[in-house]
Amino acid sequence: MSQSDFIKEFHSKLEAFKKNFYFLTRSPLATIGLGIVLFYILIAIVGPIIVGGNPLIMTQNLKYYFNPQPPSMQYPFGTTYRGYDIFNGVIKGARTDIGVAAIIVLSGAFIGTILGSIAGYKGGIIGETIMRITDIFLSIPFIVLAVAFLLIFGRNLITMVEALVIIWWPTYTRIVRGQVLIVRELKYVEASVAAGSSSLRTVIKHIIPNSIYPIFVQISLDFGNVILTIASLFYLGFGFAGYSLAEWGNIIGIAASQGSGIQTLELYPWTIEIPGLVILIFVLSLNLLGDGLRDITDPRLRR
Amino acid sequence: MKLYVYLIRRLLLLIPVIIGVTLITFYLSHVNIGMLIAGYEGRIRNAQTIAIVKRELHLNGPIWDQYLYYLFSLFTGNWGYLSPNEPMDALTPVFVEFQRRFPPTAELSIIATILVLIMGIPLGVLSAVKKDRLLDQITRLIAMAAVSIPVFWLGLIILMALGPTSPIPSYLKLIGGGQINFLNYAYTSKGTLEPWASPTSGISKPTGFLLIDTLYYGDYKAFLAALYTVFWPALVVAVTSFGVIIRFLRSSMLEVLGQDYIRTARSKGVPESFVIKKHARRNALGTTTTIMGLFFASLLSGVVVTEYVFNWPGMGEWLFNAAANADMVSVMATTFVFTIVIVVANLIVDILYSILDPRVRLD
Repeated sequence: MSQSDFIKEFHSKLEAFKKNFYFLTRSPLATIGLGIVLFYILIAIVGPIIVGGNPLIMTQNLKYYFNPQPPSMQYPFGTTYRGYDIFNGVIKGARTDIGVAAIIVLSGAFIGTILGSIAGYKGGIIGETIMRITDIFLSIPFIVLAVAFLLIFGRNLITMVEALVIIWWPTYTRIVRGQVLIVRELKYVEASVAAGSSSLRTVIKHIIPNSIYPIFVQISLDFGNVILTIASLFYLGFGFAGYSLAEWGNIIGIAASQGSGIQTLELYPWTIEIPGLVILIFVLSLNLLGDGLRDITDPRLRR
Repeated sequence: MKLYVYLIRRLLLLIPVIIGVTLITFYLSHVNIGMLIAGYEGRIRNAQTIAIVKRELHLNGPIWDQYLYYLFSLFTGNWGYLSPNEPMDALTPVFVEFQRRFPPTAELSIIATILVLIMGIPLGVLSAVKKDRLLDQITRLIAMAAVSIPVFWLGLIILMALGPTSPIPSYLKLIGGGQINFLNYAYTSKGTLEPWASPTSGISKPTGFLLIDTLYYGDYKAFLAALYTVFWPALVVAVTSFGVIIRFLRSSMLEVLGQDYIRTARSKGVPESFVIKKHARRNALGTTTTIMGLFFASLLSGVVVTEYVFNWPGMGEWLFNAAANADMVSVMATTFVFTIVIVVANLIVDILYSILDPRVRLD
């Protein structure tokens, strides 16, 4: 490919991106979602540097070990049990949660895309086997499988990521296979096969690039689900590194497990409400963004 | 194809799925042989009992032999024993515990599904009929927010909103009565929680479903209390999972409303409410049935977490407590049971769909 061709292609891609971005900004909800998601990502990148200290460990003030403090100038979001600063934890938790969720979703999408395109393009016994295995994994509730994995292979971050990747690839396999089955029959694929392209080349150069768009939509919708699952696992006490890990679900878990009952929870409601709202706002914006993206890719819904 | 031929075919197709699931649980439970043996040993743990368990499960044999005997013990109900909390506790087989734990989970899931249908169907239809108006935007935002709420967080917020005087069992755990075994407790007509079905007292639970048992004893005050108890956790599950139904119903309603026969019905003067109720909604509900299988899987994930928050004595609470105690046989049993439930639910949904929609070809 000569240089001018490359520039031309780049320009056409840029034009398409501008058009899609224009459609996205026409929906106010999707724009708000995009803005909030970008804000959270910014926090995840620069936040831990600004607040300082170990980016994985919440700062602790032992003076308030048993008596959480309400939001104040010193502690904007208050403190929770064991003297952990909630604001500090929420900022550092953005990096933990978004980072872990990104690893899980992207690896899941990668594995799912490969298996899905094999199943869709090759078909036959290999394709059938892959799809049956997908069915099996889809019929186990993900949180149950994650708990079983964590119990047997040990509770640490690597195991959690592995378990959730194993849970998250089947959805992508299904989507990619459906997409590949459509793209496979198109004329340009036929032309490339007729021109003597090997099947590996056909799949990588022609089929995957043209069936990958729904994957992006699914990633944006799944990202929120992964964050909710990670937070649930930490809340349920499948955390590690004691209580000090800066993670949104862990902050709620500290308040729910360290307090001596619902009465103390009612005394210190911010220990539960603020981290929960942080999760809710992020996942909601992700879903709004994903919904906007889906409307762009599916013109039938734009009616 | 006749319906019964289809049914037999689907049942035969279940076999590979179940084999696959048992392969997964087999692999997971045989990674850590020590944990597995401990789960089958019972109270006395010494070299002799280890040898007995190894002989029973053929753990010294080749891997296919181990798998066959694992399958055999799975289908004969020999699922191992719960690890006893106290040295003198009676030894409970996992299979017996499963029979006790299953009805509360089924009850919670059924009530939650009913709530989802009650709330989700009208909202989905409304959203499609009022497309792009304010009402539609609000409904879509509600649906979106509903799938974004962390389940455990909503549970905690509802517990806090109800207040400490509310008669929900989880308070006893939270207030500090963590040692009480709620399997043996239930509501009485006085509205208090009492040892109602403890093994020593004569009263037993005929079905294990709180709502049915209270009716069986004719105790309507206890029935109302039970209804109140089951309502809040079911609401948490329903709210966090009905967004999917609203979204899917909206898009399939929009698809149906664009069909020719809707235009025909309108042009021949059929009233609009009749068109929506009889022509459009019925067809849209048919397509919505297809996603009910996947929906049920996600609903059960919500049920599991909600049970833990509300201290509901079902499979989910069992799962997490077992995992906290490194009780592997219980964790494997719950995994197996949940998977079988979802597989069977998928089967029922497919059959239901073929009955509801005669256009579906059974092949």
